[in-house]
Amino acid sequence: MVGLPYDFLANPLGAVRLSFEKAVAEAPPNVDPPAAFRGKDWGVLDLFRDFLFEQGGLSQVPVLDASTIRWIQPNTLVRVRGMVQDMLGNEFYIGAYKDGSIWRTNKFTDSALFPMPPAYETQLWERHLFHCVPIPGQNSWTMELSPSPTVRNMLGCCTSQHGEKRRREEDADGMDLNCSDHGDQTSPSSSKKQKEDEYLCHPSHSSAELVNHGCSLQQSNVANFDASSLSCLVKVYDMPESHIKLNDVFEFIGIYTFDPDPVVHNDDSDDLMDDLMEDVMVHLPPSKVPRVHCLICRKLAVQDFLSNFHVIEPLPSIVKGIRESLLGHLSMALGNDGLAAQCVLLHLLSRLRARVDVVTVGKLSLNLTSFTRESASVFGNQLTAAIQMLLPFTHAIPLTVEYLNTATLKPRKNNQTGRLVAGVLQLAEGTHLTIDETHMQAGVLDSNGVENARLLKHLMEWQTVEYDFEYYKLEMAADVQLLILSEGKSNILPADLVLPFRPTAVAAAVNPSAEELQAWRWYLATLKSLPHSSEPEMHQLLQDELVAAMRGDRSLGCTDLNRLLTMAQLMSSSFGEKTLSLERWQMVKELERLRKERLK
Amino acid sequence: MKNLDFNADKALAKDFLSNFADALGEPKYLKLLQDVSNRKFRAVQIELDDLFNYKDLDEEFLQRVTENTRRYISIFAEAIDELMPEPTEVFPVDEDRDILMTQRVDDGTDSADNTDPLQKMPSEIKRFFEVYIKAFSKGTPLTIRQVKASNIGQLVKISGIITRCSDVKPLMQVAVYTCEDCGFEIYQEVTARVFMPLFECPSSRCKINKAKGNLILQLRASKFLKFQEARIQELAEHVPKGHIPRSLTVHLRGELTRKVAPGDVVELSGIFLPIPYTGFRAMRAGLVADTYLEAMSITQFKKKYEEYELKDDEQEKIERLAEDGDIYNKLAKSLAPEIFGHEDVKKALLLLLVGAPHRKLSDGMKIRGDLHVCLMGDPGVAKSQLLKHIINVAPRGVYTTGRGSSGVGLTAAVQKDPVTNEMVLEGGALVLADMGICAIDEFDKMEESDRTAIHEVMEQQTVSIAKAGITTSLNARTAVLAAANPAWGRYDLRRTPAENINLPPALLSRFDLLWLILDRADMDSDLEMARHVVHVHQNLESPSLGFTPLEPSVLRAYISAARRIVPSVPRELEEYIATAYSSIRQDEAKSNAPHSYTTVRTLLSILRISIALARLRFSETVAQSDVDEALRLMQMSKFSLYSDDRQRSGLDAISDIYSILRDEAARTNSMDVSYAHALNWISRKGYSEAQLKECLEEYAALNVWQIHPNTFDIHFIDA
Repeated sequence: MVGLPYDFLANPLGAVRLSFEKAVAEAPPNVDPPAAFRGKDWGVLDLFRDFLFEQGGLSQVPVLDASTIRWIQPNTLVRVRGMVQDMLGNEFYIGAYKDGSIWRTNKFTDSALFPMPPAYETQLWERHLFHCVPIPGQNSWTMELSPSPTVRNMLGCCTSQHGEKRRREEDADGMDLNCSDHGDQTSPSSSKKQKEDEYLCHPSHSSAELVNHGCSLQQSNVANFDASSLSCLVKVYDMPESHIKLNDVFEFIGIYTFDPDPVVHNDDSDDLMDDLMEDVMVHLPPSKVPRVHCLICRKLAVQDFLSNFHVIEPLPSIVKGIRESLLGHLSMALGNDGLAAQCVLLHLLSRLRARVDVVTVGKLSLNLTSFTRESASVFGNQLTAAIQMLLPFTHAIPLTVEYLNTATLKPRKNNQTGRLVAGVLQLAEGTHLTIDETHMQAGVLDSNGVENARLLKHLMEWQTVEYDFEYYKLEMAADVQLLILSEGKSNILPADLVLPFRPTAVAAAVNPSAEELQAWRWYLATLKSLPHSSEPEMHQLLQDELVAAMRGDRSLGCTDLNRLLTMAQLMSSSFGEKTLSLERWQMVKELERLRKERLK
Repeated sequence: MKNLDFNADKALAKDFLSNFADALGEPKYLKLLQDVSNRKFRAVQIELDDLFNYKDLDEEFLQRVTENTRRYISIFAEAIDELMPEPTEVFPVDEDRDILMTQRVDDGTDSADNTDPLQKMPSEIKRFFEVYIKAFSKGTPLTIRQVKASNIGQLVKISGIITRCSDVKPLMQVAVYTCEDCGFEIYQEVTARVFMPLFECPSSRCKINKAKGNLILQLRASKFLKFQEARIQELAEHVPKGHIPRSLTVHLRGELTRKVAPGDVVELSGIFLPIPYTGFRAMRAGLVADTYLEAMSITQFKKKYEEYELKDDEQEKIERLAEDGDIYNKLAKSLAPEIFGHEDVKKALLLLLVGAPHRKLSDGMKIRGDLHVCLMGDPGVAKSQLLKHIINVAPRGVYTTGRGSSGVGLTAAVQKDPVTNEMVLEGGALVLADMGICAIDEFDKMEESDRTAIHEVMEQQTVSIAKAGITTSLNARTAVLAAANPAWGRYDLRRTPAENINLPPALLSRFDLLWLILDRADMDSDLEMARHVVHVHQNLESPSLGFTPLEPSVLRAYISAARRIVPSVPRELEEYIATAYSSIRQDEAKSNAPHSYTTVRTLLSILRISIALARLRFSETVAQSDVDEALRLMQMSKFSLYSDDRQRSGLDAISDIYSILRDEAARTNSMDVSYAHALNWISRKGYSEAQLKECLEEYAALNVWQIHPNTFDIHFIDA
């Protein structure tokens, strides 16, 4: 093979079309090619996989965000990272059509090269639409530096209008050549060229608008995240339905298409289109929300957000060292309150491990009490800042009566527009939520406020968020770590673990080194996902211990027992141990004793 | 591609319509057509069920009808055109359409040059009926996400909830123009939502004359259809975990308009069709097709026991269950299986679900059949869980708290409509739960106004309103399931039960069963809880229950089947019940501190519970065992309240110890119990060693068991 007639990065559609036509040509004559390829790929994904992962092409693929959208060309390969905020159902499109005697495909694109033949010469295929937004509460340190230098250099020469034009024409020619190689081409390429010239008429103008819109959309749609990236509509092909779930964090690698049609709907408000018929696309016009036709996608874990993620076997000695330094860092931020630092560490390591009937196993929400307004401003901020540096997705809510009355925490389906309107509590798995209750004043909650408070409490107890679908409510599973800072024990939000906070010294804000931060992030990400297995001999011991504890203190209930076991498991996880040992159990008991002492 | 012979299919359709006979042997469709011809109906609904049951069925024809429904609707319509009988009744001919039709028929014979297709009168304009093809009534409907690209053009049946509805608008079906020059009527059939009006007369006369006759659209002569659009969304139970509900546009035409309102749960059959974008949109997004469902039939879902339709396999399952002797225990255990213990409480809740039939006496007096149950107990004993689970199982249930979230509260309220300023009556939770179950949490924290109204609801089963000029009475035939906390948050053992229960006796007497669930210090339950918690944490699953609980759907089906039975109390049992009732009254009179007030209500409760038990057995008559179980449940519910008294009086403790030992021996299936073991068991239940010794001596004297003189080991004497 001399070389590929197409460039995966700059002309992925060429690869798609070429391979389709090749596959059709090679298909056995007794098979109807378009029917055979419905819902399947014809080897094109393997081509891309090979390019991305075997030949290391992945690093050359730019990430699509607000800063890169200015120079990324339409119909090129991009990467998008984000949370699936809304699922817009499926879309039927003309997947294959007959152009003369040749079947061609429209997969992975929004526009066809040739005019459509009558309906009987086309095939309707199906694709799924997802609305993808930047992950709420994503911290700046997780943003990948993009693009990689090589890509920047490569595209650096094309920044001028002229260069761009040249490049596009070359592409177009290349494409035409490919096409004509494979069959008698009926439609002249001039129309296409004309079309592409249209693209170039106002690229700078429209992409600027796009960015602006992206920002404003974010502000209106999702309450809090930084506007350095924008939402996009991902079209996913041939995916089992269960693969992508709401609020999943995904990376999509696909073809970016951008339709800079400036006249969007001004003249389309014809009365003939009944208001019911308007589809959701109207609210996500292609000129404002870019489309990405997904080729390959994968679910992201926290580890994927660590900048240089190195796989180390969690050796006990290394883990212990990191644990000590992290504890030191946390207690520094907490004014030398070692006990609070221990609790915060366990809290940071907690995650929802399972839901068993009415018990949610593994969550450990923490309520630090005895904050005053002054100490909250000092230590609260330090703690929030420290957590921000440690966890990829964090979010802080200053809880006031006014906030409760006005905020929309609950995601709600707007049946008028067919969109899911994001609420503050639509969060990705593993998000950390700090709720500062110290600003709370006496006041009256209206019905919205009561509902919001109930929602937060429900999230705390059951780790589910109720989504409002107008005629019924759906409970969506969540996995959110909740930290509450309050003056007294919070009754609005009853946390699993309540600890009065006793700072002894005010330390100046410490800036840990980058290496330390990296180690800590790695520590939290790795140990959080550490599996935990059980030892039968520990069972009996724990049972006896729990019964004894209940004998000693009649007020202990089921929830307290659950909490003790969760803490024990987290304690052993914090040492990188997969099973619970007596030593860790004793540590938890000691921790609990100290905590009880403070509560008195 | 097969070449389909539509003419042959039309003949098949004609044959079916004229020869199909329903179960009674009547020609169903011919009769229907006669009615249509007499202008009684407009809709001709062809049911696939009938087509399937037709004696000369052509399987392929049936398949073609389901897969290319839209084409076959017009085939059926043509067949009907040919079959349409003459009207047998006289009806007023004052409609514009009829006058126009007569005129046209007259014209048609005059004009010779009728060859022009656009001038030929389309058959649609003559029709005064609409054809619908209804999907099979059997078979589960699809969910919206199961409708795929392969279903395009097919007849599908889906279920969902209507979320939006447009106004009903006219949709042009045939546009009629008249030409200024030649004066001909020109017809244009409209099949899409959008059409391009004609401007030049296409008639041959105008063409020959090159007149380019100006066409004027005749709105009065054109044919319009009622047209409505709706959006249907997936039901919550059909949405897979981690997904959000999908929705679909539905087009309702003609007689199907105005049948649905937002919030209705419906089952629709219809044709799944794509609409290609037209005009400007087509240029922009020519590759994408919107899809919609053209409705063919609408069935509203009702969630009542009485209308619960059993699926084939459910009937079988229920019959199998009914044969099982232990169904009562099995069903009770399957209620909230994740909540450990509380067997008697669950039995009471099961009976609440089943209930007894309402009775209306000849003098107009109504006797309620619904059982009311009140659960009282310490916080954190899973009362709310039980309530929520019951609501889940019940086909119609409302869960609310005593505080009630909206201004309407529990009963009903008169409110001013913000738009029209009219006074409207709005039902509260109890009214909404009519013919169902209303679970009220935090019953003790109820508003005073609701508390007075609930007296009426619980006995008369109505809500009366006399406010703002509206005087009315709303039905509230619901079974009330209440949960309440004791007066001081936790049950205070030093106070009397009456002091602990924070409800007036008038309200309490209306509950058939009152249960106290206490969080007692008990070694057994402590250990059980510890074991459970450890198991859950270590294995991330709940420990096996020792039995497989029945699915809620099976429970629901069983209960709805049981609710159809109306058992009667046989004459010979009347005496028995009367004696039982009077003996309770006697006992109460004797005791110096009566715990409860046995009234006629108690007697009715016994009857209700007995009847509910008979229903569970699918029996038409109440048996003595039912009455015994009812009395036992009432006794147990009292015991749950007054067991502390029982413990204090020495005698009861000793028989209790005996029963503990007896049970343990039966469980281990041995006749010997060692003294150490016996002491262990009874101390868990809170009894002392002295009490055990007393028990041993007493029962040894009765020759129930033998005691080893040295070790005090027990040997039961088999009777």
